[in-house]
Amino acid sequence: MTILEDKDMLEKVFPGLSRHGKDPVITIVADRCAGCQECVIRCPVGALSMDETRWIALGNSDLCVGCRQCVRTCPFSAIYIEGDPQVSARVVLEDKEPEKLLYSVEELRQGFANFEEALKEANRCLSCPDPTCVRGCPTHNDIPGFIAAIRENDLQKAADILAKTSCIPDICSRVCNQAAQCEGACSWSLAQDVPVAIGKLERYITDNIHLQGPVAKSGMGNSKVAIVGSGPAAIAAAWELVQEGVGVDVFEKDSKPGGLIVWGIPDFTLPLEIADRPWKELTKAGVNLFCDHKVEPEAIAGMLDKYDHVILAYGASAPIKTSAPGNSYQGVTDATVFLQSAHQNLAEGGNRKAFLESLGLRSETTLDGNKDSDNQSDLDYRILVLGAGNTAMDVARSARRFGLKATCIDWVDERFAIARPDEVAEARAEGVEILFSTTLQEILAKDNKVTSVILAETKQEKSDVAPKILGDKLREVTVDLVVMAMGYRVDQGFASRYLPMPRNRNISIPDHTRWMASGILASKASPFAYSGAVGTQSLRREDGLLQAQLPYDHRLWIVGDALIGPATVVEAMAHGKRCAQSIIKSLLPSDLDGIRSGGYKVLVCYDSMGGTTKQIADDIANKISHSANSVTVKSIRDTSKADIVYADLIICGTWVEGLIFTKVGPSKSMNKWLHELPNLHGKQAALFCTYGVNPKSTLTVMTDILSVKGVKIITTMALKSKEITTADYATKLDNYLSEIAMYTEVDFLTSHKVS
Amino acid sequence: MTIELEGKVEDIAGGKASAGPDERLSAPAVAISHDPIESAVRLKPPIRRGIKERFEASDPDPKLEVSKSKFVRRLLANRKLQFLMILPNQIVFWTVIFVGLLGTTVPGLNFGAAITWYVWFCLVFVMMVVVGRAWCSMCPFGGFGEWIQRRALWKKTQKALGLGKKLPEPIARYGFLIPVLSFLILTWIEEFFNIAGPGTPADTAWMVVGIVSFALLFFLVFERRTFCRYFCPLTSLIGTVGSMGSVAGFRTKDREVCVSCQTKDCMRGNSKGFGCPWYTWPGSADSNLYCGLCSECYKTCPEGNVGLFIQKPLTSVVQPSRRRADIAWAIALLWGLVLFQQINSTNVYVSLDNWLNRHMDFAHYPNPVDYIVIIGLLALLTAGIVSLLANVLAKKEINFDRPGDFVDKKSRFRAFFLPITYGLIPVVGADYFARQLPKFFKHSARLVPAVGHLFNAGTASSSLYSFRIIDNPWIVVVQVAIIGLGTLGSLWATWRITNRELVSVSKSAIGVKLATTSLVLICGFAAAILYVAMHAAS
Repeated sequence: MTILEDKDMLEKVFPGLSRHGKDPVITIVADRCAGCQECVIRCPVGALSMDETRWIALGNSDLCVGCRQCVRTCPFSAIYIEGDPQVSARVVLEDKEPEKLLYSVEELRQGFANFEEALKEANRCLSCPDPTCVRGCPTHNDIPGFIAAIRENDLQKAADILAKTSCIPDICSRVCNQAAQCEGACSWSLAQDVPVAIGKLERYITDNIHLQGPVAKSGMGNSKVAIVGSGPAAIAAAWELVQEGVGVDVFEKDSKPGGLIVWGIPDFTLPLEIADRPWKELTKAGVNLFCDHKVEPEAIAGMLDKYDHVILAYGASAPIKTSAPGNSYQGVTDATVFLQSAHQNLAEGGNRKAFLESLGLRSETTLDGNKDSDNQSDLDYRILVLGAGNTAMDVARSARRFGLKATCIDWVDERFAIARPDEVAEARAEGVEILFSTTLQEILAKDNKVTSVILAETKQEKSDVAPKILGDKLREVTVDLVVMAMGYRVDQGFASRYLPMPRNRNISIPDHTRWMASGILASKASPFAYSGAVGTQSLRREDGLLQAQLPYDHRLWIVGDALIGPATVVEAMAHGKRCAQSIIKSLLPSDLDGIRSGGYKVLVCYDSMGGTTKQIADDIANKISHSANSVTVKSIRDTSKADIVYADLIICGTWVEGLIFTKVGPSKSMNKWLHELPNLHGKQAALFCTYGVNPKSTLTVMTDILSVKGVKIITTMALKSKEITTADYATKLDNYLSEIAMYTEVDFLTSHKVS
Repeated sequence: MTIELEGKVEDIAGGKASAGPDERLSAPAVAISHDPIESAVRLKPPIRRGIKERFEASDPDPKLEVSKSKFVRRLLANRKLQFLMILPNQIVFWTVIFVGLLGTTVPGLNFGAAITWYVWFCLVFVMMVVVGRAWCSMCPFGGFGEWIQRRALWKKTQKALGLGKKLPEPIARYGFLIPVLSFLILTWIEEFFNIAGPGTPADTAWMVVGIVSFALLFFLVFERRTFCRYFCPLTSLIGTVGSMGSVAGFRTKDREVCVSCQTKDCMRGNSKGFGCPWYTWPGSADSNLYCGLCSECYKTCPEGNVGLFIQKPLTSVVQPSRRRADIAWAIALLWGLVLFQQINSTNVYVSLDNWLNRHMDFAHYPNPVDYIVIIGLLALLTAGIVSLLANVLAKKEINFDRPGDFVDKKSRFRAFFLPITYGLIPVVGADYFARQLPKFFKHSARLVPAVGHLFNAGTASSSLYSFRIIDNPWIVVVQVAIIGLGTLGSLWATWRITNRELVSVSKSAIGVKLATTSLVLICGFAAAILYVAMHAAS
């Protein structure tokens, strides 16, 4: 590690430095600083060191760039930074104005034009030692890693870094709401300055490098996995599986694969050739794709007979309907129908007549190939879009591309809007009228055809309190079509069978001290990134990511929106990838050394009353710890969901509770804990218990509970508490571990010390 | 306990292949963290240089770990422990308030006044000297504020009530001087109204109400125990005198585990407990100064690396290698205050106070000017003597000056003043303790009729009302003996401190030893003499 000594060296290490405004000054509260070094190990520029005699942190203001990560990570609020963040201005890329909006499918958001531009932006990155942006990214791309590679002008390396965590960086860089994710969590953003343009840099890589498709390996035997749905979760799962040589069959209900990313996101945001890329690559790599093949919930059981695993990635594509009176008139439609038709009719070069007629509107436009022969009566059509989220913006902007008038209404206050503000601005620039604090009261019709709507004003004071409808402020607006774009939910057929929403999170988010330590939870994003509570939002996603790694039932997995409700492309992709990795692990034949050569993770968890059970747990862990495998010992009270998800083998011990003759069994808290475990199909466990007089059915009870959860019990051991002082104890432990070793084919007992 | 082979330093050094791509992650992860972004984390290695030297002397003896006992372990792990310690005191102090306001106006018969001044104050001193911050762990004032701030009596909650402000640096930089100031103010109020006499019981009640309200206010404005650390009037005494105590507090068992810990749950809190309310990190604690014995770090440590340790008496006086100027000045001022409280019963003082009051139109004891001037002068006198010693004894070739903030700045004067004042702690503590004894010996038995009075039973004619455990002049004998003991403690501590810190910077080893020990003897003698004089005056 280079130790910086002066400003000149600082400029070399951090070329994005720009001395402006007030110089940063570090103040360390000598009274409160405990010398824990949380700031020292995280300072990106080495402005902090330690005073050895006082054992408190020491700041060098000359080197400070004002990112304030130290302030966010100090557990005792013993450090203050005054002065402005010393980062150069962000490289601004103007969005393209469509020359002519009509029928335009031109991509509007631009990428960096050349290396110089990209480098200038990449230089703004601090390469934080504990990068918060990576936590903000739902799939945890190594952002400082790929930005460093861009700086070296090694785009292939950058693409390889991205490929580790993402198979669709070209799509993500265009459709992600970076302000609420990585860029919102950028150190500069948390310091209330303008974040590094991470999305644009990611796009720069994908624009300039030919992204590799999956290359099928052989060696997975005849394993076959079925995937229901073909959206981002399915893409990532199929990608990961086909790469490992697993046979993959994908069933898609539509005629084209890709789900929402193909028809749900207009081409001016996500060009067709990019949206189509994953499936071109996947089919080339040998994934069998069956389109127009709707899988009914009842058919899943049959699929499980034919396949080793089934992944449900059916997404959340059922539009939420308005409950306003008149919602069934002709001329009330939903965003799915509207966007699918718009997509199709724009892709064919622009066909207003077909578009309008598909929505049940009469069209006067002549189909003589001359697109300029606009009929005014067509252009007078007004579309009312219910909602002002991202889908609503897409609907309205698509309508504008057919020359129609579009109005979006949303009952929330504009301050609390959920759409990307840049998207709202773009929509307004294209002539979309967006009315916040407005709600639909009634749809009026003549001859069953929509003629107008009654709108009411609303008032909202706080983001978490629903708006109040002001019943006396009503007005009537003439409209021809009402499009419901208030969001989606999971198809009821599946939801009622599998996961009723909202999903019951049966185990809470793991202790998040490591997240707190990074500083991501300490402040909100900058106004540039819409001041969101980006840390909390990121942390909330972790539970879903963990859940996606666990099977829903024996060989059955649910991922993406289907698991967590409507979310983002990148989150679904992350789910699919992780789920597939878990499947691959379970399919891995034992003679393949992948996970067995070490790094086999053992979790020893116990519930101890007097300390004997703990003692045995510790002894088991000690024996295993000499092998090349890692082991964690925890009381069941301290065991988090993550501990369980990442464990390859669970060794679980309890004391025996009960009166000598009746009610003998595992301790009450162990019983409760076991019952509350999620399904763990494919996991292996070994059990033990310590008893005074007679363990009776303790181990059988535990085996039964775990078997229902799908856990394979390798072996069990009952030890009399007094035994642990005898010579037999060591032999018993050795036998127990040999049995585990024999079954798992993992060598737990050979000492693995480097000679 | 968690074991991670791959991350251990020795293994990386041994060239183990699997250390591979994560070499950049040079801080060895002791715990298997399931951090999803591990591969993108490139933390710098924590600095370990100088850490051994810094903490060697003050680290507790592993043999003296109390939490080795299974019983203690279970007690400390229980979240209700502190609540159950606070609860009885909480009940007593609300009783003090209500009985003080509504009960009899006879101080000796009023439960509120009697328990506070005849018994409680003495008990707090005993706890201070023996344990350290034992009182803080059960204090009803801080406890009450904390319950409200945490919105819970014992449960771990996520969101705090109140503004959660951090005490700004310009104030925080004076550290221990802030509570000394509040102690001086409170003592002046107490003397003015003769609360501790005890005088009118309602005054005691109002004082308690005042402290509780101040505490609550601070708990609602600031985060954690900012009140206890920076503003509580008692904290200055408990912190300094408490360092004589035999409880080292919660400390780290293996410092390396703390240094490489990436989550610092003990400081930030987790699902099992709150981050340290006192801003103390077991990984760097070198005395019991700021350990409130609340056991939160014990509960939160994911590695089980925090233990409760005891220590030999005076360890926290002698051993800390970082001496703080705020503590030193606090001791000097507290020394001044206790001397003032002895001087104020002499005839000389009474005539001075009266004379000043006449000239200032301030018709009440104690005159604020003489109060503050006498205390200030006494503190300055101590400092002046030390300054003189420093001038005469310090080696001329050593440049002591090092810039820094108030707490840590260095100079020749400070090089002598800090260690010497630390050495005075036992004699100052003994003096405070001795001053409480007369009330305890003469009146503590009144607690029984006072309790009886609550149930219409106890009266002033009860034999216990006038029962004295011992009476003058035996009380004075005990007081002088206590001072003698304190002086002995101070002599021993000063001897150790002088050998360790002053001999090497002084021209004459014998000279400096003679000077520092004489100073202790003079202080002890002055305190003892004053007790005799006080007795004579009354």
